[in-house]
Amino acid sequence: MELAGVFILVVVFLALLLIGVPVAFSIGVATVCTLLLSIHPGPALTTAAQRMATGLDSFALLAIPFFILAGQIMNRGGIARRLIDFAKSLVGMLPGALAHVNIVAAMFFGAISGSSVAAASAVGGVMAPRMKEEGYDTGYGAAVNITAATTGLIIPPSNILIVYSLASGGASIAALFLAGYLPGILVGITLMVVAGVIAWRRRYARSDRVRVGVAVRKFLDALPSLFLLFVVIGGIVAGIFTATEASAVAVVYALVLALLYREVSLKDLPSILLQSASTTAIVMLLVGTSMGLSWAMSYENIPQNVATTLVALSDSPIMILLIINLVLLCVGTFMDITPAVLIFTPIFLPIVTALGMDPVHFGIVIVLNLCVGICTPPVGTVLFVGCGVAGVPITRVIRPLMPLYIAMIVSLMIVTYVPELSLWLPQVFGF
Amino acid sequence: MDTLRRIVDKNLAWFLVALMALAIVNVLWQVFTRWVLNDPSAWTEELARYLLIWIGLIGAGYAAGKKLHLAIDLLPSALHGRRRRALEFFIDAIVLLFAVFAMVIGGIRLMSLTLLMDQTSAALGVRLGYVYLAIPLSGAVIAFYAVVSIMDRVRGRTSPEADASGTADAGHSQTEYTID
Repeated sequence: MELAGVFILVVVFLALLLIGVPVAFSIGVATVCTLLLSIHPGPALTTAAQRMATGLDSFALLAIPFFILAGQIMNRGGIARRLIDFAKSLVGMLPGALAHVNIVAAMFFGAISGSSVAAASAVGGVMAPRMKEEGYDTGYGAAVNITAATTGLIIPPSNILIVYSLASGGASIAALFLAGYLPGILVGITLMVVAGVIAWRRRYARSDRVRVGVAVRKFLDALPSLFLLFVVIGGIVAGIFTATEASAVAVVYALVLALLYREVSLKDLPSILLQSASTTAIVMLLVGTSMGLSWAMSYENIPQNVATTLVALSDSPIMILLIINLVLLCVGTFMDITPAVLIFTPIFLPIVTALGMDPVHFGIVIVLNLCVGICTPPVGTVLFVGCGVAGVPITRVIRPLMPLYIAMIVSLMIVTYVPELSLWLPQVFGF
Repeated sequence: MDTLRRIVDKNLAWFLVALMALAIVNVLWQVFTRWVLNDPSAWTEELARYLLIWIGLIGAGYAAGKKLHLAIDLLPSALHGRRRRALEFFIDAIVLLFAVFAMVIGGIRLMSLTLLMDQTSAALGVRLGYVYLAIPLSGAVIAFYAVVSIMDRVRGRTSPEADASGTADAGHSQTEYTID
């Protein structure tokens, strides 16, 4: 019975996914098929519908549309350009200047917005033409932008960490946000190391050293945008706002800034709101159907079976974490990050907490792991957007992505086996 | 059919804009009542949760109409002619079946059950059955767009959205969000 459940679920899901049925519907149909094994058709349909609605019934999740909305306003509002200019005065003197500028700007953007897709399109949209001008390989430029954008999911605020908090059954969002800083910066640094080596081998130009006066002015230009970081994260950590309230405040702040910069007018608002609602809904349908699938799996005792198998394979925590990481890397290539977090957190979290791992630490590991997957085909949201804004076909980006994948996986291993990297900052702030 | 589609598109779009704006104002009101009026509102959090259900589900219908839901399109784009049309028909049919059975029928069953048990929400006093109305409504919209897509294919037309993009998401970044 239990084996049949696993079998039906996996086969139906993969078959539908591979022939091109949208991911959310593949998950939904697989859920209904699994439920039909043990429940009568009528109640099975009711349960599927109920899980879709109750899966979304969460105040914390409402932060996601607001962070998406704030990201879209920043995307149009000249905020990205100011962050890029500031990043240029910081790292423009390194060899392969523009790659470093892209990485640092993506990290800044990630620190004020919750989504990597927004970072990939906002920063990539400005950087791609500049890189082309200076004779960079466009495929390489897009690859740097795509991998750099993933830091936005680890550096807070982060939509996916909110989703993880929900899936983990209540890991503190504030603690997760604080835990993301150092791992996110680590990913940025390893990417810059790779970019530096490539620039040195290809003899990419470095920009002229920027005078201190100019650097200060660029910093002051970027300051109002960066101030958002203190409003959002400061507000959450100090306990003034919940993440959802902070995200709504971020929307207002970004909107005021964008209106002042005269790059958004009130007339644009309906279309910005519609775009955010539609992007949100794509994520929310995945959340709803994934919560249903996750429920169906625990109904069929699948997490317990996986745990028993995994613990039988090895009793070394190092090996088990390695196996979990390898499984997640495979999952990430086929599944978008949101359903992957919702479906695999309930399976793996009990195993790793039994090994003594902190749920906050595991949250950073699972998100960082799946960040590799959103940069790989066939399902890679950030990959698609990054290629889209740069106007490069995916095939031209894969080769330059290889060394950058390795940088991400090295960071993943460090973050997995050095818990202090994630847990030190939350501890300092008393979480 | 095309006229009907435009009407549905436009109404959904404005409905979503209104829900989104309301959601923002609602949460800002929550912050305002707690920190400025020192009298935290009792109902904002509940309203926020229900608005999210509606934005997520109704928006999913709108996104289905624009073909924005993420999919692996390696197989459909590798096929040509009749085989490709057959596969695309099959994909639309799966979406249609899920929308009709799980969302419309399952959703109506859920609604009538909750209405029968007369569950009401704690703060707003709304009957929960009406909150769940979003599910069958969203299912109906998704089913409608699936039928439109199937009819377009039968008449030998491919929708402009499907033509413009190589992948679901590359198309996404190019989609224009204009409401006429």
